[in-house]
Amino acid sequence: MSRRLSRMRADVRSWSRRHGYSLLSSIGSLVRHPLNSLLTIAVLALALALPLGLYMALDNLRQVNQNLERLDSLSVFLHIELDEANARRLGSRISAWESVLAVDPISPEAGMRELSGAIGLPKASGSNSATAERPDLGLAEVGLPWVLEITPADRTSLDTLSGRLDELEEVDLVVIDLDWVRRLDALLAIFLRLVEIMAVVFALTVLFVISNNIRTEVQQRREEIEVLAMVGATPGYIRRPFLYAGLWMGLAGALLAWLLVVAGLWLLGGPVGELAASYATPIMLAWPSPNLVGGLLAGSGLLGIIGAWIAVSHQLLRINP
Amino acid sequence: MITFEHVGKRYPGGTQALSDVNFELAGGEMAFLVGHSGAGKSTLLRLIALLERPSRGQVLFEGRNIGRISSRQIPRLRRRIGVIFQDHKLLSDRKVFDNVALPLMIAGHGWSGIRRRVHAALDQVGLLDKQNMRIPTLSGGEQQRVGIARAMVGKPPVLLADEPTGNLDPALSAELMQLFCTLNELGTTVLIATHDLALVHRLGRRTLVLEGGSMIRDGTVDATDSSSDPAGSMGARQGSRT
Repeated sequence: MSRRLSRMRADVRSWSRRHGYSLLSSIGSLVRHPLNSLLTIAVLALALALPLGLYMALDNLRQVNQNLERLDSLSVFLHIELDEANARRLGSRISAWESVLAVDPISPEAGMRELSGAIGLPKASGSNSATAERPDLGLAEVGLPWVLEITPADRTSLDTLSGRLDELEEVDLVVIDLDWVRRLDALLAIFLRLVEIMAVVFALTVLFVISNNIRTEVQQRREEIEVLAMVGATPGYIRRPFLYAGLWMGLAGALLAWLLVVAGLWLLGGPVGELAASYATPIMLAWPSPNLVGGLLAGSGLLGIIGAWIAVSHQLLRINP
Repeated sequence: MITFEHVGKRYPGGTQALSDVNFELAGGEMAFLVGHSGAGKSTLLRLIALLERPSRGQVLFEGRNIGRISSRQIPRLRRRIGVIFQDHKLLSDRKVFDNVALPLMIAGHGWSGIRRRVHAALDQVGLLDKQNMRIPTLSGGEQQRVGIARAMVGKPPVLLADEPTGNLDPALSAELMQLFCTLNELGTTVLIATHDLALVHRLGRRTLVLEGGSMIRDGTVDATDSSSDPAGSMGARQGSRT
């Protein structure tokens, strides 16, 4: 029993020693060809920095979007027979609600001006004669009610607020103007999909770059591989330094990509700060989260190992008798 | 230890390197393999080290048919055979020490053990003072001795040598042959392919003679027995051929 145990222990020891030798050998070969290694790592870093940088841009745009969504407003159309005094009284009543930040009453004339502007009638400007010339619009006959533009205090309570407004007997219709928010959301979704596609494409690039690099490396060290095989190295032993080399390249590429993106964000910090100042809203640039950086390193390292595995296995088949 | 039974080896392209070779090498035996270049000496050694597989017959190593073992088992087998190659097969970008340490590192030995055994092996071939030199800075003879040190550092039960004295001056080759004899006396089975017939005669060991892929002679020769001079018979055959 104890003999079996000590034998197992010896096996583990020699296994870990073999790993140690492979690890040193892989670092040795990277250091022996520093220019080659650096060029590869630079290519990997650029390939990874592009999707990562775009993702960070998207992340920050999303944050801005969240800030902008606070500016959403409700348009409350009052009954057409309600006059100005009643409309203004209702407005000030609503503005006292806790969930309401501001109320802006819009007169039928102002509403007409806005509407005409929106549908491109330069001369409409609310005069009845101008619209009368265009009976197809029918605006004169219908007329416009007083409208209250309401800015909610809290975006999350938008639905409850609109329900509460709807229950008021003076209110005809509540319109939540979310179109542009939806459009921005849709745009951001497209952008996100683009980033995802690019991430896949550049992950494949990393795989191929590392695979190709290891393939060249294997060819250059063909003689060494033959010698190793002849003195009794297992395919696993021969493969291992190359797998480590792939791992190092992947990790170094990811690390450099991260540094590039951080540098880019740092450079963007100044102009973004100025833009934020002009809006009087403080915008903090988001940095890559630890999870994202960890995922990037792990993913790139794994791709390195896989790429090296593909290249070495292919070459070993050709070399082994 | 090593048994060849009706072994033939034909390379792709039709070259018949060996045909119907039969011999047995007992454990602890030392033998020479002679024959002119192209006779099949290297192929015979490569079959034992499983660098080639036979196309006919079987090669037994320690009673196992090694032509049939799976490729997974090859590394383990090769660690039991030390091979000295004609073209050294050394890693030119590594130091002498690292080259000799290679088989021990592959076997997963501890660093202190590796140092001790590499130093011992380098001492035996007289290169201890050059352990930190790179291979290209050594002479051909020195490189050959590094190859020998690498082959014997793992203390394999079998040593195969392909022209180990090819690049050495007579004094040095005699010294190395003495080293092989010492290793053999310590129990290692040794098979040496060589051109150096004078040396073969002087040592008077069992000699296998290959000619055109066939084994034409198997026996002991010594300097006094001129009738069984393999050089003479080889010379005659070579002459008749050209």
